Amino acid sequence: MTSYSSRGFFNAAYHDSETLEMDRRSGTKPPHTNPYAREEPVRWGGRLGGRDEAAWGATDGGLQDESRRGRDHITTGAGAPPFPHQPYHNRFQADNRYNQRPQARLPSLVSDNMTMRLRGIAMRRMSMFPHASPADVDLTENAIREEMENDEQNLMKELVSMSTLEQTRAIRELTMSFEAKKRIRNKVLAFRSVKKSHEFTWFAELSENTSLFFRRCGYTMRSARQALELWHGIMKEIGGKFGSSVLTYFMFLKWLLLFNIFSFVVNFSFITVPLLVYDPNITSSVSFRGLELLTGAGYFTHTVMYYGAYSNETLKHGVEYNLQLAYFFTIAVYMVLCGIALIFSMASSFKKNFVLVDPASTSAWQLLCSWDFSVTSEKTVTQRKNNLRVQLKESLSEKAQQELLTVPEKLKHFGIHFCSWLVSTALVVGCAASIFFLCQYEGKLFSQWGPGAASLQQEAETLLVPFMVSLMNLVIPLFFSLFNKLEHYSNNRSQIYTLVVRNVFLRMSILGVLCYYWMNEVSLRSPSQCWESMVGQALYRLVIVDFFFQMLGSFFGEFLRNVIGTKLHRRLGPPEFDVARNVLDLIYAQTLAWIGIYFSPLLPSIQILKFFILFYLKKVSLTQNCQPPRRTGRAAQMQTIFIFLLFFPFFVGAISIVGYTSWSLNPSQNCGPFRGLNQAFSVVEIWIEGLHILPGSGWAVWIYKNIIRSEIFYFLITLIILGVTYVFYQLIQGRKELIGLLKQRIINEGKDKSFLLDKIQNLQSSRPKKDTRQSKDGRSSHQPSLGGHSDAVRQALLARQQAEQEEATYSDGVSVPADISTSSALMQAMLARQRAERETEDLYQRVEDPPSSFTALSLAMEARQRAEGEMLQDNSREGDFYENPTTASSAVSQAIQARLRAEEEASASSAMMQVMKARQQAEQEAGMQWTDVQLQNPAVSSSSAVAQAMQARLRAEEELPASSVMMQVMQARQQAEQEAGMEWAHVQPQNPAAAGSSALIQAMLARQQAQNEYDDGY
Amino acid sequence: MGATASQLDKGMLSEYQELTFLTKQEILLAHKRFSELVPKEEIDRINCRIPMSLILTLPELKSNPFNERICKVFSTSDIKDGSLSFDDFLDLLSAFSDSATLEIKSHYAFRIFDFDDDGTLGRHDLEKLVNCLTGGTDDTNLTPDEMRQLIDNILEESDIDKDGTVNLSEFQHVISRSPDFVSSFKIVL
Repeated sequence: MTSYSSRGFFNAAYHDSETLEMDRRSGTKPPHTNPYAREEPVRWGGRLGGRDEAAWGATDGGLQDESRRGRDHITTGAGAPPFPHQPYHNRFQADNRYNQRPQARLPSLVSDNMTMRLRGIAMRRMSMFPHASPADVDLTENAIREEMENDEQNLMKELVSMSTLEQTRAIRELTMSFEAKKRIRNKVLAFRSVKKSHEFTWFAELSENTSLFFRRCGYTMRSARQALELWHGIMKEIGGKFGSSVLTYFMFLKWLLLFNIFSFVVNFSFITVPLLVYDPNITSSVSFRGLELLTGAGYFTHTVMYYGAYSNETLKHGVEYNLQLAYFFTIAVYMVLCGIALIFSMASSFKKNFVLVDPASTSAWQLLCSWDFSVTSEKTVTQRKNNLRVQLKESLSEKAQQELLTVPEKLKHFGIHFCSWLVSTALVVGCAASIFFLCQYEGKLFSQWGPGAASLQQEAETLLVPFMVSLMNLVIPLFFSLFNKLEHYSNNRSQIYTLVVRNVFLRMSILGVLCYYWMNEVSLRSPSQCWESMVGQALYRLVIVDFFFQMLGSFFGEFLRNVIGTKLHRRLGPPEFDVARNVLDLIYAQTLAWIGIYFSPLLPSIQILKFFILFYLKKVSLTQNCQPPRRTGRAAQMQTIFIFLLFFPFFVGAISIVGYTSWSLNPSQNCGPFRGLNQAFSVVEIWIEGLHILPGSGWAVWIYKNIIRSEIFYFLITLIILGVTYVFYQLIQGRKELIGLLKQRIINEGKDKSFLLDKIQNLQSSRPKKDTRQSKDGRSSHQPSLGGHSDAVRQALLARQQAEQEEATYSDGVSVPADISTSSALMQAMLARQRAERETEDLYQRVEDPPSSFTALSLAMEARQRAEGEMLQDNSREGDFYENPTTASSAVSQAIQARLRAEEEASASSAMMQVMKARQQAEQEAGMQWTDVQLQNPAVSSSSAVAQAMQARLRAEEELPASSVMMQVMQARQQAEQEAGMEWAHVQPQNPAAAGSSALIQAMLARQQAQNEYDDGY
Repeated sequence: MGATASQLDKGMLSEYQELTFLTKQEILLAHKRFSELVPKEEIDRINCRIPMSLILTLPELKSNPFNERICKVFSTSDIKDGSLSFDDFLDLLSAFSDSATLEIKSHYAFRIFDFDDDGTLGRHDLEKLVNCLTGGTDDTNLTPDEMRQLIDNILEESDIDKDGTVNLSEFQHVISRSPDFVSSFKIVL
């Protein structure tokens, strides 16, 4: 790319297109120097002016688009009119224009504009690197400085017009060095204070102070939150040694711990404290034996640990406190809050991590981009480098040999998959069934004991079920991993997902069976016993035993594995920390706590303890036994999946079980807060009935009757939600289509750009050293192209140049400049050209208005055609001269002779050339006119293209009826027709899709496509 | 202004808070760590710069394969020696902090990866980048053939306008598709 590549740098449209280039001008690449820089210094200025204008034009275009899209009431005059076409525009004027902008602009526009400008500044910052070649250093530096000052001014204007909060954020998000930011901030502040002194009101000051206060508060809050952050140092250490994917586990653990702390605080303060205040003497009849810590039975049975100990009375210490209601609402509110928190974190995580992720994510970039900057240990860094190298090599070989499996191989893989799924399902079902029967057996055993304290051995027997459950949870996943090793997976991710799905399946079924047993058998067993407390105890045991097994798991899974790997089988090496398995364990434990919250409100305290110990245990085990994971990346996605899993089967399962218990099951008659009621939910009914008496509470009753108890309400809500969901679904589909189109457009623009650059380069090199006229042409063809989006115009002008060249050759063919008729024709052509130029100038001035540019363009085309027509006429007039020798002066006769001679000489070759030219021209025009007129009437354009071709043919026939030429012309005609037809078919379907974009871009695209087809050899 | 004299005054602190993504504690911690690096004889000088060699003794940067690039990118020194003033240091930490936006992070990542500072990632830059990330010694590096293929793949994937280099917007496009970037482009003091 020669001198023209640098022009792109100053062409705003070039920059603001999605495929912008950073700095085509920088000097490390020799071809980027600009030979014109020294020749015509003024043009830099001219370009600058043009650039700015283009930027304005672009903003205007955007605004107009926006308003055209259905907001016609917003005045499009918001954008400033383009600057007059002069090299250095008056900055004062520019400022004024800026200030005149109405304040009521669309916010999205503001931000778009802003980011564009900021990006622009960043770009130019980048271009300031002092490597520019010495030849144009002065000029470019001046130009750039000029430009940067302009940009900074504009930026300042934008910043000043923002609110303080936005301003702070915007400045903070500038990609500049600290000092530059500080300078801008100080300027903005100074400007602001000046403005304030002009329009000083107490209100402005007040709002200023308030916003300042809130900002300070915000900073303090952030600082405080960070100060409270748990395990900051440990987290950093783990992240530094093992990378962010292992850190995910610990973050998750911490997050769950916070959930539990919250739940403990809520339950303790709203349920337990009032009870203790009311009746501090809840003592157990059974003495403490130690085993209770494991079983949760015995001594604990009648403490505040479980549901059974809570009272159903109303406290009357000054204020009334209904314990029943407190119990119900505390748990309900906690569950709802948990749900909301989960949904929010899930949604934000999805938004961040899944929106734009391509399925083929093993690409090299992703590996390179996920390098962990937080890793600090030297050993880990080398290890990561090795891993990354292996992965890169793998990705290369995968790409190289996209292995195609034969049918038997496929069948084999399918068979293995099928078998392993069958076996794992069978295992899961077997486990669930055995747990169920075990539970039933145990139930029978318990019922034989009778009332009173159980013996130590009996109490120990209760540990059988949780032991079995935890054992299964520990052992069965090992089998699953074994299957996983046997199976063949096309990629690593599906392997992990399969493993996760199977494990989730196992845990879900075990928990499901347990819940079924509790709901259907324990709850109906005996009215005398407090079944809720028994379920609570069972859950307590599960939580505790699970804790021990997790410790065992890290002992066997990590410590022993490490010993084996490092001492016995050196080949194995130390184990990796299995994030997926460990996180699933956490999810399972948390589900137990959620289910248990109704039956044992203080279970979260146990959970807190458990997670706390687990954190340190895992940390020690990790740092002592494990090595960093071999596979990097995917950490963010895995985290999203875990949160989703936590929400979907597990939290939803827990909440439905709690809901079912409180809505449909009979509470125990002799214990707990809901004794004597049919369902726990009746508490609310009774309360509402009680409210009837109180005056002024009618609304609560009304809400209860018409909203909470009404099916119609839920029916309507469901309908509305379904409708909204459908609409959003459709929106998403629309967006997807739009994204596809935009991607296509990016690609097209890229092609377009490279094509145009090539074209210009070719033209430049093929054209002989020009005379003054042509250099003027060069100018006139340059400047519109600076006008941002007038590439089509430039194209038209290029074609026109070509036509002129042709014209020149034509006159060369006649070869007698003194010939009156020829020169008059030439003059006429010149006039036409001038007119066309004037028209293009007009067009240049109206460049921000797409329709007018079209008319201008078509005018130019018309002028050209007229010029051609006149040339033809002159031809025929020449013939007249030939027939009528009386009017011939000496010059004329000379001319005629020359012409004859020329015709004789040029018999074959020149005619051939002309016809060739005509053909090219016709082809080009067919393409060009198509795009130009496309919006108005495609049919016209295709027909005109054909007509053009016909004209060319006619002309050729007139001049030299040679058969070979005829054939060529026929071919040309056919080709033109073909092209017209093809484009018609091809471009038509895209028309409605791009409706929102500006007309010019569409034309560009169509032209591009036509050109592509042309290149592809249609 | 970046005074490294023993204490940060309150006005400066709030200015730092406003212009960076860091919290008060982080700024104070950064200040402490920075002051520890300042040579004794310069401790009272306003706006002193710490040479790159000293900065690289920080454990957070010591083993980072890009440590020198990071210093050079964030340095505002006139002679491009990678030395950092306190302002530059805060800038660095701000860009690598949790709350920095994707745009800022990708911008700086681009500049860090742009080894020859020419504003685009050419083949040479990409080669250096891969070498930086896959090992130092010669025998562990990728073979030239593999390297060529890898870079071809990279360019094919990301070079939308087919000019043979990856520019900032193309790079940001790539980044937007790899969600791990934000969580891994992070340095905690």
